[in-house]
Amino acid sequence: MTTLAADTQARPLPPSKWRRNVSLLAVALVLLWALFASNLPFDRLLGLPSGLATILGDMLFFPDWSYFGTAWEGMVESIQMAWVGTVIGAVLSLPLGFLGAKNVSGGALSVVIRQVLNAIRAFPEIILAVLFIPPLGLGAVTGAVALGLHSTGTLGKLTAEVIEGIDAGPIEAARSTGANQVQTLRWGVLPQVLPEIVAFWIYRFEINVRASAVLGVVGAGGVGQSLVNTVNFRHWDKAGMLLVVIIGTVILIDLASGRIRRRIIEGGDKPSRGQMIEQPEFATEIAPPRAARTMSFSLPRRAR
Amino acid sequence: MSAGLRGGELRAAPRRPTPPGASRLLLVGIAVFLAITAWAVIGLGPNFARILANISKAPKIISEFWPPDLGFAPTTADGMIETFQMAVLATALGSLIALPVAFLASRISAPNGLILYLDRTILSVVRSVPDILYAIIFVSVLSIGPLPGILALILFNIGIIGKLLSETVDGIDPGPIEAARASGANHTQMVWSSVMPQVLPNYVAYALYTFELNIRASAVVGFVGAGGIGLVLDTQRKFFAYDRVAMIVLELFVMVVIIELISERLRRRLA
Repeated sequence: MTTLAADTQARPLPPSKWRRNVSLLAVALVLLWALFASNLPFDRLLGLPSGLATILGDMLFFPDWSYFGTAWEGMVESIQMAWVGTVIGAVLSLPLGFLGAKNVSGGALSVVIRQVLNAIRAFPEIILAVLFIPPLGLGAVTGAVALGLHSTGTLGKLTAEVIEGIDAGPIEAARSTGANQVQTLRWGVLPQVLPEIVAFWIYRFEINVRASAVLGVVGAGGVGQSLVNTVNFRHWDKAGMLLVVIIGTVILIDLASGRIRRRIIEGGDKPSRGQMIEQPEFATEIAPPRAARTMSFSLPRRAR
Repeated sequence: MSAGLRGGELRAAPRRPTPPGASRLLLVGIAVFLAITAWAVIGLGPNFARILANISKAPKIISEFWPPDLGFAPTTADGMIETFQMAVLATALGSLIALPVAFLASRISAPNGLILYLDRTILSVVRSVPDILYAIIFVSVLSIGPLPGILALILFNIGIIGKLLSETVDGIDPGPIEAARASGANHTQMVWSSVMPQVLPNYVAYALYTFELNIRASAVVGFVGAGGIGLVLDTQRKFFAYDRVAMIVLELFVMVVIIELISERLRRRLA
C-alpha cells in the first residue's frame, strides 16, 4: 500500500525510447556494413584535390570559347528534347491524373492507374532511353520519348493528388445545375486544379532540361554526347565550355520557371502556398494538398 | 425630353453584362507555347517513316527483350549490392554535410547576410549540375569504380537536402526562437535549441527521400563508369544482350519499389 502511494507521487516515466534506439542501431549497422563490405579504395582520395584542381582549372578557367557554337547547338537540342518530353508528359498525364484520382474515377480503376504511374516513375529517364533505343534508334527523338514517359509517371501522380485535394463545393454547384459528368469535370474540377497542374508542368520542364543534358551518355541525343566524348579524349577546355553552357542554361531556366510558377500560383486571390512552388516534388508527399486546401479555402476570399 | 430619357434608361437597365472575353495574356501564352512546341519538334526532326517501320517490327524487338535472361541474375548480384551500398554511404555522408549547409542557407539560422548569400549561391550551382556530370568528372580523376559514384551522389544529395531543409527552416514557428533569445541564448544555442527540434522530423524524412532517389541515381551513374549495377547494364547494352538488359532493369525495378514502399511508410509516420 505504501509503495502504491509512493508510485503515484513519483514523476511519470518518460516514454520508452527503445523503438528509436533500435532503429538508430539498425541504421548504424547497415552503414558500417556498407562502409566495410564495399572495399572502397580510400587511398585514391588523397589524389583527389590535386586531380580535381588540375581538371577543373583547365575546364573552368580556360574554357575553349571557339567551341561555344557546338556546345550551344547540343544544348539547344537538349532543350528541345526537354520541351517535347514535357509536352508528351503533360498531354498523357492529364487524363491519367483524372482517372487516377479517387474522387473522380474511384474504385479499382484509380488504384490500377496509380500503380501504373508508380511503376513508370521507378525507371530513371536514362534507363527508359536505353530501352527505347532498339525500337526508335539513337538520337534526340528517343531521348524526348524517354523524358515524356518518365514525366507522365511523375506528372500523373501529382495531378491525381491535386485533384483528390479539391474543394467539393464547385462540384456540387455544377451538379445541382444539371451538369453531366464531363461538364462537372470541366466547370467544377478543372478550374480548381489547372493553375497547380500547369505549375507542375513548368517545374517538370526544369527537371527535364537537367535530365536531357545527360541522356547523350547513352546516345539519346542532346549535349551529353559531346560531353562524354570530350572527357574521354581529355579535351578539358572543350568539356569546360560544355559545362559552362549546361550550368548557365539550367540556372537561367530555373530562374525563369520559378518566376512564372510563382505568378501562376500566387497571382490570383489565393493565399500564398510557398511549399507548392518551392518543393513541388515533395509538397504532395510531406504536406498532402488536402490539408493545405482546407486551410486556404476556409479563409475569406480576399484575405491578405 | 427628360421623360424620353427616363424611358430609355428603364429599357436599358436589365441587360445582362457581356461575359469577359478570353484574357489576352492567355492567348499570348497559348501562341508562345505552340510556337516553342513547333520549333522543338522540327528541331528534333523525327523520322516518322522510320518510327512506323520500327513499330511494325515490334514483335521482333520485344522478343529480344522478353523473356529476360533469368540465368544472368546471379551474375548481377554483386552489382546490385554495390548499388545499394553506394546509396547507403552517399545518403549518410550527403545528409550529414547537408545539415550545416541548409542551416547557413536560411535567413533564420544563418549568422549573417554574406554567408547566407554565398551558401545559397553555391547551393544553386551545386543543384544545377546533373548527377552524371559529377560522376564524369570524378571518374576522370579517380578512375572507374563506386568511389567516384558515391562522391557524385553526395554532391547531388547536398543540393537536394540543402534546398528542402533550408526552406523548411524558413517556415518554422518563430515562437521558440524568440523564447531562446529572450533567455539569453547566443546564435548557435538558439539554432540548436529552437530550430533543430522543429525541423528534425523533416530532416529525417528528406534523408529517406534522397535515399530513394539515390538507389535510382546510383544505377544511373554507372553508365559513365562510376560502379554499381549501371556499369553492368551499360556493358550488356553495348553487347546488344537485351534479354540481360531486361533482367537487370527488372531487378532494379523490384529493388526501387521495395525501398520506396518501406521509406514512404517511414516518412508518413514522421510527417
